[in-house]
Amino acid sequence: MTLWQRIIRWLDERIGLTELVDTHLKGYRVPSEAGVFYTLGMVAVVAYAIQAVTGFVLLIYYIPHADYAFHGLQEIMRKAPFGWLFRMMHVVGSNMMVAVLFLHLFSVFFTGSYKKPRELTWLTGGLMLLFALLFCLSGYLLPWSQLSYWATTIVTAMPTAFPYLGEYVTRLLRGTEHVSGVTLNRFFALHVAILPPFLVSLMGLHVFLIRRTGISPSPFRRSEGQAGGYPLYPHFLLKGLFMVMVYLAVMFFIISFMPTLFLPAEANVPADPYKTPAHIKPGWYFLAPYQMLKLIPNKFLGIFIELLLLGVFLLWPFLDTKEERNIMRRPLLLGVFLLTLTLWILLTLWGKYS
Amino acid sequence: MRYILLLAAIHILSSPALADFREVFEREFLLKPWAGAEVEESVCVECHTSEIMKPEYRHVAEEWKLSWHYQNRVSCHDCHGGDPEDAAMSMSPQRGFLGTPGYTAVPEFCGKCHVGILRNYLESGHGKALKAGKRGPNCVTCHGSHGISKASIEIINDRLCSRCHSYERAKSMKQALFLVEKKIENIEKDLEDLRASGVYTEDERKALFRTHAEFRALFHTIDVSLVKNRTDEFTKKLDVIQERIEETSSELAFRRNFSAFIMLLFAGMAVVVFLLSKTYMD
Amino acid sequence: MKRRRFLKSMLALLGSTTLLSFLYPLLRFIAPPTGEARVERIVIPKDEVPTGGAKEVVYRETPVIIINRPGKGYIALSRVCTHLGCLVEYDGRKGRLICPCHAGVFSLDGVVLSGPPPKPLPRFSLRIEGENILIG
Repeated sequence: MTLWQRIIRWLDERIGLTELVDTHLKGYRVPSEAGVFYTLGMVAVVAYAIQAVTGFVLLIYYIPHADYAFHGLQEIMRKAPFGWLFRMMHVVGSNMMVAVLFLHLFSVFFTGSYKKPRELTWLTGGLMLLFALLFCLSGYLLPWSQLSYWATTIVTAMPTAFPYLGEYVTRLLRGTEHVSGVTLNRFFALHVAILPPFLVSLMGLHVFLIRRTGISPSPFRRSEGQAGGYPLYPHFLLKGLFMVMVYLAVMFFIISFMPTLFLPAEANVPADPYKTPAHIKPGWYFLAPYQMLKLIPNKFLGIFIELLLLGVFLLWPFLDTKEERNIMRRPLLLGVFLLTLTLWILLTLWGKYS
Repeated sequence: MRYILLLAAIHILSSPALADFREVFEREFLLKPWAGAEVEESVCVECHTSEIMKPEYRHVAEEWKLSWHYQNRVSCHDCHGGDPEDAAMSMSPQRGFLGTPGYTAVPEFCGKCHVGILRNYLESGHGKALKAGKRGPNCVTCHGSHGISKASIEIINDRLCSRCHSYERAKSMKQALFLVEKKIENIEKDLEDLRASGVYTEDERKALFRTHAEFRALFHTIDVSLVKNRTDEFTKKLDVIQERIEETSSELAFRRNFSAFIMLLFAGMAVVVFLLSKTYMD
Repeated sequence: MKRRRFLKSMLALLGSTTLLSFLYPLLRFIAPPTGEARVERIVIPKDEVPTGGAKEVVYRETPVIIINRPGKGYIALSRVCTHLGCLVEYDGRKGRLICPCHAGVFSLDGVVLSGPPPKPLPRFSLRIEGENILIG
């Protein structure tokens, strides 16, 4: 008996490892048509884990104070050995994580996987997307560069479109009238201590719900395929691992060959509250709501529509209760989906180039 | 649908009552430079570009807008004093208005800011001649006034210098300056490249500016032998900066190679995992 | 099956290489800084800096000025102007520091009094031990 086998047996006697593997990994069946799009959730978990780990590493040298944050980060980038690696992974990873979440969202919507009995899975997923965006918002300020400072000023000014309460929300976020060192400390606390437990709990709930309801079979399947699907391990996990490797390869492609993609020139200038740069925009994921707010002449209407859309998005499974899951048989829904997607992309591009 | 209509009605009816919040929103969001709002200009420029101005003063603002001073946010009142926000009092001596300096007062006028250069200039043949007989050149003679551009070695040229004396001596000065100036130019270019690839170059930039400014101030003594004697000292300082830039560049190359290596590892693993999952599909 | 075993060992090889390529940077990153950041110390006898006087030194590659402020004691400030990086000069008569490039004026505490500098001069901590002034 090899050492490895002995360890397994030792564990088996105590926690029933073999049974656990048999029932939850090998015995757990995944629909046979579950392709790479079904693995996006897994990629998202890994993406979040990468953010967490690189974030912990950066914490070793980061100083959450307006006077030192920028220079501390420059120390990480130039002096601390390999600090650049972890910082670039964190920066590129944050953007790619949002992209993966969006893709995951689209594929779930497109396959009608949010329908009964999976309404709660959708809701927790939607909330997680919002939390991920809050992570992005709070993390954006931490380098304390011109880009951070002014992009945060813009995004935190958006709630003022809402009467009375909006001004308070802005004030609550900023802590002071304008974005300042106080805001930095708030956002830092939010980023490293307040948001993570919420996100992790939601993630746990999300996974729990998926395990309880099972992965939803595709509505587009033609034949029955392999009866009962295939096992989670090794088939589906290998697919997931493949996608994770692709995700990481893309991440390192960007780090190697497009290092300034998410770090434009303004990200390299320390924040200066007295000097507004001309071409500052919020992160790409905030551009659509930002541009929408700029376009709608009646500002209350603008923010009102945005909040309404947000509510519709989160509660969508409760509004769309038709049983038909194949979106191809529901031209109206398909139209709405494509229209929303096109509008989002158009608004984003408009916001970027206006 | 009913609810949506109701909500819409509520908001349309209430919006006239919400004028004050909208003011906040406009102040905070819409009227900022990123929303396309114009940056407000001083009353100096307003008046000096208008019809009522004497023609000889009318082009001042235009020239200034093309200048190195404008690019660095040095405005009218920074040199001329006065109040750029109050039209009535803008040119009042009470608000520190200085107007146009006389010919011999120009060095002190510019020297309010360019302290080091003024000191060396006053010691120079140029400065002494100006103070002694009002016949020497002042700052404006070589650099111009409102349309001032970034100083460069090209200011030393036959046309300008031979207005007063033969070009020969100026030429030997230009030769003495040439190598160091060239080096500075190259380092500036390298720093710009580093900045474009996402490196924070403030320390190097400051070291370069300091060296450059010292060298330029030295030049204003127009003492060729002094410049020649100290060329080595400046070259050494510049070499230190250049070395750091080269180190950073090779560090950048290493970073690219290292992360490309990791990328290849992940790509390789993706291929292996893909092939491995194939073996389970059969 | 042979192919599967080969692929698995390939994966193990690549995986462990990747792991090492992250572990090495991480260990380097968290290792305590050595060499350049080693403690540097400057000792100057007190009588080299009389009241109202100043002395220029270089500390950690930064030009530093030690000033004996009348009535307020010693202070060590960076001489690098926060505007564009020229070296500020001490003007003992007027009790201020002035930058020769664009006339940025600092008080003897390093605070900006006038001119373009955006920030005060960085201050270095300093200690008096007997007849000596210590920096670092």
